[in-house]
Amino acid sequence: MKKKKTLSLLLSLIMLFSLILAGCSGQNSSGSAEDSGGKVTLKFWSFWGSETRRPVIEKMIDDYNKSQDKVVVKHTFVPWGDIWTKNLAAVAAGNPADVVVTDINDVSHRAKNNQSTDLSQYFDDNMKDRFYPHLWETVLYDGKPYAAPFNTDTRLLYYNKKAFKEAGLDPNKPPTTWKELEEYAKKLDVKKGSTYERIGFYPLWGGYGAPSWMRNADEGKNFLEGNKIAIDTPAKADALSWLADWKKRYGKKTIEKWDAEFANGQTNPFVAEKVAMYTDTGTFYTQIRDSGKDLDFGVAPIPAYKEGGRNWSDGGGFVLEVPKGSKHPKEAADFIKYMTDVKAQKYWAEKNYDNVANKEAAESAAKGMDGQEKMVYQASIDNLKDTQLAPIPIQYPDFMSRINPQIDAVMLGKAKAKDALKKAEADVKKIKRK
Amino acid sequence: MKTAAQQPKFYQTMKFRRNLKHSIILFFLIAGSIALLTPLWWMISMSLKSPEEIAQFPPTFIPEKFHFSNYIEAWSTGPFTRWALNSVFLAVVGTIGSVFVNSLVAYGFAKLKFKGRNFWFVVVLATMLLPGFVTMVPQYMLFSKLGWINTYLPLLVPSFLGSAFFIFLLRQFMMTIPNEFIEAAVMDGAGHLKIWWHIMLPLTKPALITVAIFAFNGSWNDLLGPLLYLNEEHLYTIQLGLQTFKGSVQTQWNYLMAMSVMILLPTVLIFFLFQKFFIEGSNISSGTKG
Repeated sequence: MKKKKTLSLLLSLIMLFSLILAGCSGQNSSGSAEDSGGKVTLKFWSFWGSETRRPVIEKMIDDYNKSQDKVVVKHTFVPWGDIWTKNLAAVAAGNPADVVVTDINDVSHRAKNNQSTDLSQYFDDNMKDRFYPHLWETVLYDGKPYAAPFNTDTRLLYYNKKAFKEAGLDPNKPPTTWKELEEYAKKLDVKKGSTYERIGFYPLWGGYGAPSWMRNADEGKNFLEGNKIAIDTPAKADALSWLADWKKRYGKKTIEKWDAEFANGQTNPFVAEKVAMYTDTGTFYTQIRDSGKDLDFGVAPIPAYKEGGRNWSDGGGFVLEVPKGSKHPKEAADFIKYMTDVKAQKYWAEKNYDNVANKEAAESAAKGMDGQEKMVYQASIDNLKDTQLAPIPIQYPDFMSRINPQIDAVMLGKAKAKDALKKAEADVKKIKRK
Repeated sequence: MKTAAQQPKFYQTMKFRRNLKHSIILFFLIAGSIALLTPLWWMISMSLKSPEEIAQFPPTFIPEKFHFSNYIEAWSTGPFTRWALNSVFLAVVGTIGSVFVNSLVAYGFAKLKFKGRNFWFVVVLATMLLPGFVTMVPQYMLFSKLGWINTYLPLLVPSFLGSAFFIFLLRQFMMTIPNEFIEAAVMDGAGHLKIWWHIMLPLTKPALITVAIFAFNGSWNDLLGPLLYLNEEHLYTIQLGLQTFKGSVQTQWNYLMAMSVMILLPTVLIFFLFQKFFIEGSNISSGTKG
């Protein structure tokens, strides 16, 4: 009998414990409340939790908190890649943060689906002037801003100057066209017997993928401009078969072997001096710097499709957004204004060696640098004028899933570029959303 | 006198055949072990390298210089002690709930006769068919309405409300326990709670330990739950903390791996301590026969 009592006691304790917990929680989870000092507390979610980035973003927040006496911003780190999931769930439940860091390319999607807040009433007309135009355009939906650009990036061509000298190339004359890129690569290849010891260039390694090259060839035209389709175009088909030719030249085996060796992402083929030319963002410089190697390298814009063409490049970026359901959109917008202004942006640029959305801050940050650091940073800023984002089109959010298999088919030698793109365009048309 | 031809050749002897068989089995076992242990070794090896060595090509299998300080440095980049304690709390409380609640439910399904028993059992099992991602948002909204966001309740309470898989596992195990035990106890005047506590729990120990291990690991390794429901970093678990090493631009591989090794330790330890029961318990057809 005694045992039974103990048991029922245990069970009731567990239930009681759950109830108490449930009771306690009710009060403090009702969104962003005002704190004791009468200040509004803003919840800010970012994925900048690393040892290097966290102190920077928290210093900026701290500066903001000290700059005024109405609002206190509270930063919470939410893991990279999972922040979107958490944001969506929180918006759906009506309990979101006040400001979140999210991807620039789907701003219009969240705007359309009523997941973010129209900020036009809080931003004045001068707001747009502080940003690079291609970034500002991407945060607009129906002509109204639903976010403010924060940071961005752009792809550059890194080249190994030592390898250039070895191959008899002028280390101060990087390739400017696709044709030159081919010629240089052939000279930079080092082959021992039938295996490559160094590969001059392979367009699909690095930060500039097949879709990017196709866009570069097609005067910078995206597969979908707004909702206008431009997939099956002569220039894009030409670019795709050009890519397949690269693979043919080095051989399927070589490419697959190298892919496997560098697939883990821990070793970089350019830093290891196994590849002489390589595409990546400006921030890639920090990887070179931190490798401890004294790599003699240069940077250049992505080569143009034809002589006289533009050096189109690709970029991405992150924005500050006010999720729908935030209880303090006005205060949130004020915080966003501060975070995208020159002082905060310059601090971010310098400390993280990152491209920022604020033009003046970027230029001013570059002025304070020197050596390789300045060379890459200045090149990345200059490159932004030719940089395009890839906003996800409203009516075809999933379009890449129809194009990628066709690109793969061409790369595997199973289809001709022209036919593959024709098929891709037909497939994309089928998935149009209202 | 026997001639050489009459004597069995060395490869015809029983001993040789047995040894050959064992060698072949051993060979495959060793090859399998190497295949399974290599990633683990890679993780440990990375956790001891410097960032420069990680970037090296070709990669080194054994670190040139052992950087044990990675472990201390990784731990001190954030409030990892706090996060680890949070994880321990959630895992322990969740495990207690899983073990007791599920076994009580399983006892009902295994040994009590009531109307619609099989129907309800199928209903319980059917909840396994829904993938977590389908229920994620509705569940989040439900817990949000209850005001449970940013508390541990969404992570703990479900453990006390039963899980189809554990109920199934325990029920199958309990089915193998002879009804005579229960009948005898009923004769002696024991109620069902008493039978459950005094007879079922001790007899199903292997299965309970299996459930405990699964529940502990499930909670310990859970990323999505804490990610969705916790909004304040002092409530975070160690799995969320681990994500601080992974960024949009760069990953701190040496710290990430060092912390991963440390996070792995409790689960490995628990498994080795209870592996005898674990193997026995996951075999849903054994029970008292084993």
